[in-house]
Amino acid sequence: MESLSNLIYGFSIALDPVNLMYVFIGVFAGTLIGMLPGLGPISALALMIPITFNLNPATGLILMAGVYYGAIFGGSTSSILLNAPGVAGTVATSFDGYPMAQKGMAGKALAIAAYASFVGGTVSIIGLMLIAPLLSKVAVSFGPAEYFSLMVLGLTAVVSLSDKSLTKGLIAAIVGMMISIIGIDLQTGTERYTFGSIELIEGIDFLVVALGVFALAEVFFMLLRNSNKPQKRNEIGSLKLTGAEVKEIAAPIGRSSILGFFTGVLPGAGATIGSFLGYSMEKRLAKDGDTFGKGNIKGVAAPESANNAACGGSFVPLLTLGVPGSGTTAVLLGALLVMGVTPGPMMLEQRPDVFWGVIASMYIGNIFLLVLNLPLIPYIARILDAPRPLLLSLILIFCMVGVYGLSFSSFDLVLLLVFGLIGLVMRLYGFPAAPLILGLILGALMEESMRRALQISGGDWSTFLDKPISLTLLVIALLSLTLPLIKKGWQKARR
Amino acid sequence: MIPERWQCNAVSVLSIHVLGEHMARLNINQLLALILLAFSLGYLWMAYQIPVFPIPRPVDSDAFPKLLGFSLLLLSVFLFFEKTAPAASAEKTEDELQPSGWHRQPKVQVFGTAVGVLAYAFLIEPLGFLLASILLGVGLAYWFGYRQHWINLATVGGIVLALYLLMNKVMGIYLPQGLLPL
Amino acid sequence: MNVMLKKPLKTLALMGAALTLAGGVASQAVASDWTPSRAVEFIAPANPGGGWDTLVRTTSNVIRTENLADQNFAAINVPGGGGAVAWAQIARDNRNDHKLFATSPPIILVPLAGTSRFNHTHFTPVARLITDYSIVLVPQNSPYQSINDLFAAIGENPRISVGGGSAAGSMDHISIAGAAAAAGLNAASVNYIAFSGGGEAMTNLLGGHVDAVITGAGEAMAQLQGGELRALGVSAPERIPGLDVPTYKEQGLDYTFDIWRGVMAPKDISEDALRYYEDLFARMMETDDWKAATERLGWLDAYQNSEEFGAFLDLQLEQFRSVLGELGLLRN
Repeated sequence: MESLSNLIYGFSIALDPVNLMYVFIGVFAGTLIGMLPGLGPISALALMIPITFNLNPATGLILMAGVYYGAIFGGSTSSILLNAPGVAGTVATSFDGYPMAQKGMAGKALAIAAYASFVGGTVSIIGLMLIAPLLSKVAVSFGPAEYFSLMVLGLTAVVSLSDKSLTKGLIAAIVGMMISIIGIDLQTGTERYTFGSIELIEGIDFLVVALGVFALAEVFFMLLRNSNKPQKRNEIGSLKLTGAEVKEIAAPIGRSSILGFFTGVLPGAGATIGSFLGYSMEKRLAKDGDTFGKGNIKGVAAPESANNAACGGSFVPLLTLGVPGSGTTAVLLGALLVMGVTPGPMMLEQRPDVFWGVIASMYIGNIFLLVLNLPLIPYIARILDAPRPLLLSLILIFCMVGVYGLSFSSFDLVLLLVFGLIGLVMRLYGFPAAPLILGLILGALMEESMRRALQISGGDWSTFLDKPISLTLLVIALLSLTLPLIKKGWQKARR
Repeated sequence: MIPERWQCNAVSVLSIHVLGEHMARLNINQLLALILLAFSLGYLWMAYQIPVFPIPRPVDSDAFPKLLGFSLLLLSVFLFFEKTAPAASAEKTEDELQPSGWHRQPKVQVFGTAVGVLAYAFLIEPLGFLLASILLGVGLAYWFGYRQHWINLATVGGIVLALYLLMNKVMGIYLPQGLLPL
Repeated sequence: MNVMLKKPLKTLALMGAALTLAGGVASQAVASDWTPSRAVEFIAPANPGGGWDTLVRTTSNVIRTENLADQNFAAINVPGGGGAVAWAQIARDNRNDHKLFATSPPIILVPLAGTSRFNHTHFTPVARLITDYSIVLVPQNSPYQSINDLFAAIGENPRISVGGGSAAGSMDHISIAGAAAAAGLNAASVNYIAFSGGGEAMTNLLGGHVDAVITGAGEAMAQLQGGELRALGVSAPERIPGLDVPTYKEQGLDYTFDIWRGVMAPKDISEDALRYYEDLFARMMETDDWKAATERLGWLDAYQNSEEFGAFLDLQLEQFRSVLGELGLLRN
């Protein structure tokens, strides 16, 4: 009851015409930025800070939050249409979204992404509203040992992500981890695998690899396969979902939204890991799990609801503890501090207008996003109608601009090409790209948290088993590895 | 009783024969496995060059790279002996193709694209973002066989210009100007 | 706690103003005709949210709201390697008159530890702006009441972990190791856990995963107000007004550690541009917006002009070199 009156109070702030306008500007700008490969929410937010200085803190945060979840919402578009993920959180969406678009179901894929994002976003706002203070305890309960175990659990997804050959999937994952540790090691300050190159000190940006092995490799692959076949017209297909389809994706969306929200609550995990976990969870649960990666609608619904829910979840540690869980929320924290608002345990009492105003604005923003995006889908999907040579050329341009905009470094453009060629080789010889991306996301985080945990425990490995959360995660990881094998063995035995 | 020398010879002849047979039948997976094996050895060699941190750490900077290197080594051995599915689909496509000129060969197309991307990386700063991007976009579309030059220029030019204005003017991300005054 | 903090912080700005006197006056005399012809890239060599980032964003904002420059100062984050990544990038662009970056002790510490090829001599100092101090935090229910309690415990049990927001061998580590050495411990006996930022370190302290955390006093302010964390000591020479935390010196530890922050430019910046920026920052620090910002963030003004800042940096290099040598971390 109390949260209801708080929410009404929040809506009284969010429905203020000025705030309403800023929600709209925020989500609109966010979607647009999210659609372009390379331009992520961090850069968009950092650049938006000067605008917010002149705003009242509630309005400022409403605007910035809008940009943030708008960008995650919009990021799926280029993943689905071009196989070029716009933001890191939507890489998993391309696994099934792009095959759907190729099968002439681009409209449906985009519509599912929009609905799933909407549900994920809304679920996370409800969670944020009802149990945020409680969840802050969950967020801090994750120390280095717990993170290590979470990363291990995340890595077990390699098994479900490598379809034909497990060996090849594991090789891809190892190579991904090898890429992830390039650069300066935080624990000792030592350079690793930089070959003395200045450009590699900072490591290799995630999106350079993702755009290379997905988008660039796809362009190369298309050139190799049918460069002078007569072009067949790309179908966009209907946006409408059948009743059966709605039924099919309802449960995955629900599960992934909740999973995504909790992943988002954990500092450092966030939308990317959430979407991968959601995807691999649904792939394992689904009866038709083997069609994942070939255009299964659940393969779009799961990661999209998870990454949007994670985005909402990431506001929990920010608003209740005053600690940022990701680069994006760190920018939000910086902006709030400069506007004179100190997020943290005291914020609910000191600035209820900011807290409840932002939460209410998120409900409105999510509705805006849905009604804004759905009618636009047929027009955006037109890009697939472009003559194929022109389309391929445009995909390349988008990738190059995105990568250059990340770091302003020509070196990264060369890296993009290298990863494009690696991706092509992988594609031709049956190495799955998804485990490489997973290894890339989790590898460095896993190593870092393992070493932190061991240094705290004085080199005692039992620390991973002594902590209940860590132990639970490891047991789940072990089960998720062994259960499918046991099941297979059992089925074989029965036959 | 077979003389010892003779036996020895037989074995070596046999082994050479087996090896030769094997080499001839080396499939693409095994070739890739050998490349990965060599790579993992190089990776491991570098892992052993990583300096030790002066203050003792339970797990130093070199441990994880070593683990990764040995894992890849092991996996490449597995890959070598893995039973392969029928040949990769790539070979099939080449039969379908009837290239109408050397530059329409798929491999040449990929190579040309890679060269274009490389050239872009080196020309973006001297030429500027706008010029380099339009040249690359229009050039690639032409290379891929698009012959509607005006539509090509208008589409690529429009999109590149829109991106440039969005980043430079709206978002304040500064892209290299190069030769154009814009 | 909140009320207590706010009022005396005003005196903090006054104290800072006194510190700036020498430099401020000197630089006002020189002004040049040079003005930036396009937006100035103001680089924070770290991820958003940290000390460098806050400095860059606050400064850009004050310059804009007070109309001190015709061009925008664009805050750009170039994270990685404790700053080494940004320095390498800036060193490559050594003639750019439209590029500045925020700097602090790591520009000296990181090269000394051998992980950056570039140190302060590869750049041009523009101005020192402010200073902050290290603060040692523990959870409210921690058994340690003073910095001596903590060091005594570390002496008995070397497993006691102290988290920090920078890489091993970098700022936070040196700060706590130096303090431990001053307390008579082996400097290397502090079990320092490197996190990727002060925020992450404090989250881990809140969750009880580490026993203590060392971070910047400014960064810790919000958490101290929240009341779940408590400070054992601060590395300032005198008690920071408004911050109810005893200094190391008060507790018998003869050790101070400054986290000064300033602005640097590429090596071959034109003389005119350098004078322009030097003057700009001196003027900026006189504005009301700047004073309001420093008050809010708990910074102490500590202006030095280009020349003074350069001399100060050389002095710091010698001091850090000897500290790092004692720790066995000197690699360069």
